[in-house]
Amino acid sequence: MLSTIALDTQVLRRGLCTGCGACQGLCPYWGSVDGRTVCFFDCERTDGRCQRFCPRMPTDLDALRKRFFPEDSILPEIGPFRGLYLTRAADPGLRARAQHGGSMTALVELALKEGFIDAAALTRSQGGLNPEGVLATTAEEVRSCSGSSFQVPPTLAVLNRALKENKYRRIGVVGTPCKTLAVYKMRANPLPENDNHAENIGMVFGLFCGWGLDWDGLNALAARHADPARVSHVDIPPSKYHSLELRENGAETVSVNLDEVTPLVRSGCRYCADMTAEFADLSIGGARSADGWDVDKGWNQILVRSEKGEALLNLAREKGVLEFKDAMEGGLEKLKKASLGKKRTAVKNLRELTGAPGDLGYLNPSRELFRDL
Amino acid sequence: MTGGVPGQVCLMQGNEAIVRGAVEAGINFAASYPGSPSSQVLGMLGKIARERGFYAEWSANEVCAFQACTGASLAGGRALCVVKQNGLLCVADALHCAAQAGVKGGLVIVSSDDPSAHSSTNEFDSRWQAVSAGIPLLEPTTMQETKDMIPYAFDLSEKAGQVVLVRVTTRVCHGRGNVVLGELPEKPRALERVREWDRMVCVSYMHGPALQKLETLRQLFESSPCNHYEGPEAPKKLIIAGGTGRLYGQEALRRLGVDRETGFMALGTLWPLPESYILKRLRTAEEVLILEEVDPFLERAVQALAGREGLRVKFLGRGDALPPFGELDPDVTAAAICRLTGAALPEKKPAGDLELPVREMSFCAGCPHRATFYLLKRAMRQEKHPGVVVGDIGCYFMAGQSAGQYAWQTCNCMGSGVNVAEGLGQLTNYGLDQKVVTMCGDSTFFHTILPGLVNATYHNANMLLIVLDNSATAMTGFQPHPGTGLTAMGDHVKPMDIPKILDAVGCSVETADPFDVVEAEKTLRRMLDQPGMNVLIMRQPCATLMTKERSKKPVRVYVDQDVCIGDGCGCDKYCSRVWGCPGNTWDFQKNKALIDPVTCVGCGVCAKLCPSGAIKVDRGEEA
Repeated sequence: MLSTIALDTQVLRRGLCTGCGACQGLCPYWGSVDGRTVCFFDCERTDGRCQRFCPRMPTDLDALRKRFFPEDSILPEIGPFRGLYLTRAADPGLRARAQHGGSMTALVELALKEGFIDAAALTRSQGGLNPEGVLATTAEEVRSCSGSSFQVPPTLAVLNRALKENKYRRIGVVGTPCKTLAVYKMRANPLPENDNHAENIGMVFGLFCGWGLDWDGLNALAARHADPARVSHVDIPPSKYHSLELRENGAETVSVNLDEVTPLVRSGCRYCADMTAEFADLSIGGARSADGWDVDKGWNQILVRSEKGEALLNLAREKGVLEFKDAMEGGLEKLKKASLGKKRTAVKNLRELTGAPGDLGYLNPSRELFRDL
Repeated sequence: MTGGVPGQVCLMQGNEAIVRGAVEAGINFAASYPGSPSSQVLGMLGKIARERGFYAEWSANEVCAFQACTGASLAGGRALCVVKQNGLLCVADALHCAAQAGVKGGLVIVSSDDPSAHSSTNEFDSRWQAVSAGIPLLEPTTMQETKDMIPYAFDLSEKAGQVVLVRVTTRVCHGRGNVVLGELPEKPRALERVREWDRMVCVSYMHGPALQKLETLRQLFESSPCNHYEGPEAPKKLIIAGGTGRLYGQEALRRLGVDRETGFMALGTLWPLPESYILKRLRTAEEVLILEEVDPFLERAVQALAGREGLRVKFLGRGDALPPFGELDPDVTAAAICRLTGAALPEKKPAGDLELPVREMSFCAGCPHRATFYLLKRAMRQEKHPGVVVGDIGCYFMAGQSAGQYAWQTCNCMGSGVNVAEGLGQLTNYGLDQKVVTMCGDSTFFHTILPGLVNATYHNANMLLIVLDNSATAMTGFQPHPGTGLTAMGDHVKPMDIPKILDAVGCSVETADPFDVVEAEKTLRRMLDQPGMNVLIMRQPCATLMTKERSKKPVRVYVDQDVCIGDGCGCDKYCSRVWGCPGNTWDFQKNKALIDPVTCVGCGVCAKLCPSGAIKVDRGEEA
């Protein structure tokens, strides 16, 4: 099938697209508007990078992870695992602008400084709404990208362009699970005639993710409750609060009932089976330990998945870039449970979408992994 | 057209024969709006108008042209109105009124039909308009007849005080043949003051007198020199032909060797029917074949005549012996005659076994419309719900095909786009969640867009009208229009300023250059987001005008094939396949893009779009 038509019929029209941007920045056919992936014209190639990289085109996840991670390190619930840590950035200035503990910003900054990476494809959310992908090459640029976004921009389009340019040789990528999966697909499954310099991918930093929101939907919601131009922070506290928080610059935080938010969840996120960004050197999220939200507020949890990730985290400890907090009793179990919950929901939604209990759509090649869910 | 001596034989195109006929008729006035296949007529008349002492005008539209002709006729002038089939329908209301009011000076309409729609959006038959309006109808076959029929039509018009319709078809307009020249009048006829008690008014009680005029004309047609008969005195098999059917029929009869026993009647006066003339042969006929283009016009009329006279005749024609639509050709005509006469149909040998590639019509190399529709498709795809695009008539009609990225979903007649879009645009306030876009050329803008523009602006429809301002009536051959500052007679006049008109109407107006692809797309998308009536003028001269410029200042566009990635992932022949300019071709040896230097006009847009930066533009002096 023609590449553009394959993505259009198998991903976009089925509501599977995550808006990650893996298909973009490669050619004149694909683009993005307000988080929507747009096909401008039809490409008549039957094989192409867009098809190969798309995280929602069928992928054998088991084969992919075994290729990059030792088999004995892989936990069924959360993927490759070398350790779980509670951390936060040592720099209070950095923490003040961060989503939780600022660990991601601190680690990317360190990775850049220490030569783990020479550039980083990041998401700049500029106050929480309408984020964009950027290629950061300085610590300042990295810091300007701190803070999370609940809208997924096509950051991988920026990565693709940077790889094509072949100027940076160790590009780091920070992304949600859909994005980091796409990056590993880029590494594992390059187009024979054009590998897009996949060897220039340096390190992958995953972000824990429950779901993203529809761009227009979140903008409309923000406009109902606040001044969208002044929204500086968006967050979702633990489930018992059942709310989304919008913080306006110089104003009080507004709490929006989650019932108003859940209908805005991006369709593609309903079929995502990865909460912890299993394809990454390190995955980072807000701390959700057994001790509860208030105790862990302002801290991150970090899943170390690879040797390189471990080396960076150790360096961060050595250099005092991150502060570590002990004791996460029950933390791993809680994380596993939450991760499994997302997988269950994805499998259920995929079965509904395909209309057949045995048909998991894009997860079919990895069907075995989800057999018991 | 104005030279030669009477009796001299000249090779002429049908359109030239019409011009010569008009000059021999001593016309005082000619008006037209361009439309194939008769576009050349007024262009030629404009060039000789001063010399021959008459007035010629490219009118803003056909209604203007025809109504101006009725004005000229009121002053006793001979007026010629030239339209194509679609134009005649535009004129329909005015024609039906004029037909009841009658004329003073001769008023002749030449309507050119385009059977098989070679250069039209649709195929239809103008002849019904003559019946509907109640006016006489003539149709020539040869170039000689075409030339002769024009003065004849003017004489008839004055004799009957009625508008005369002369219908020609594409093959007559564009065919060539010998014409024996007639006398040219010393000067056009003298005009008469319109008298205080002249009354040429369309009122219902004039219907009766108008019908009486037709009866007078029928008498005249019984002995008209335009009707011919060859064959047996009392034919059993009879062919009745109108227009081009005569030549196809004569050729086939001779080729099949059945011309002696078959009666062949060629009619030049098609309405009202010369009944006695026809009946003379019809009474003995057992089987009749009617050859005409396109509808069974004569067929129905002759059938009705036979019915009225109680004749038992078998009719062959459109829908049985001949295809129900499309123009005639030697093959279908021969097959029909074989069916009539029982002659054996000769086997047809193909001229060769070479298959010609199928080519779609496309915009010229460097055409600004290509860029506009490329940008429009991109803009539409960026909308949350792809918008609806309404087409209109001009070169940009091709935008419905690959040339324009299959831009539009609907297209009606000339000037319809703004109105169709207005309807859709109003419904955006009632739940239709789509952007609505339409377009028109600068010539169409003056032709029929203006009332729709006023309507849509007044009613504040949510829509975007793109005016494709290429400073030309390009499709029909660069005739002047009110935006060009030129007239048919070569005078320089003050051009109409489209932005000023739009400003005065009160819609939001912006101008963009479609070759500045980045900025133009931004402007286009911004305007799509604005509520109310928006007009975007896409201004860039027609590529054929640019070709003339380029001969003065050559620009070389070429492909660096070392950089080009051809059909590789990341391009897939973007220039030749998607952008689709005829100047962007393909090097089958190297599997890389190539610019055809003969076709390329040097606009350089493909260089801006090439994803690899492989297309270079060398502007000479800058290098």
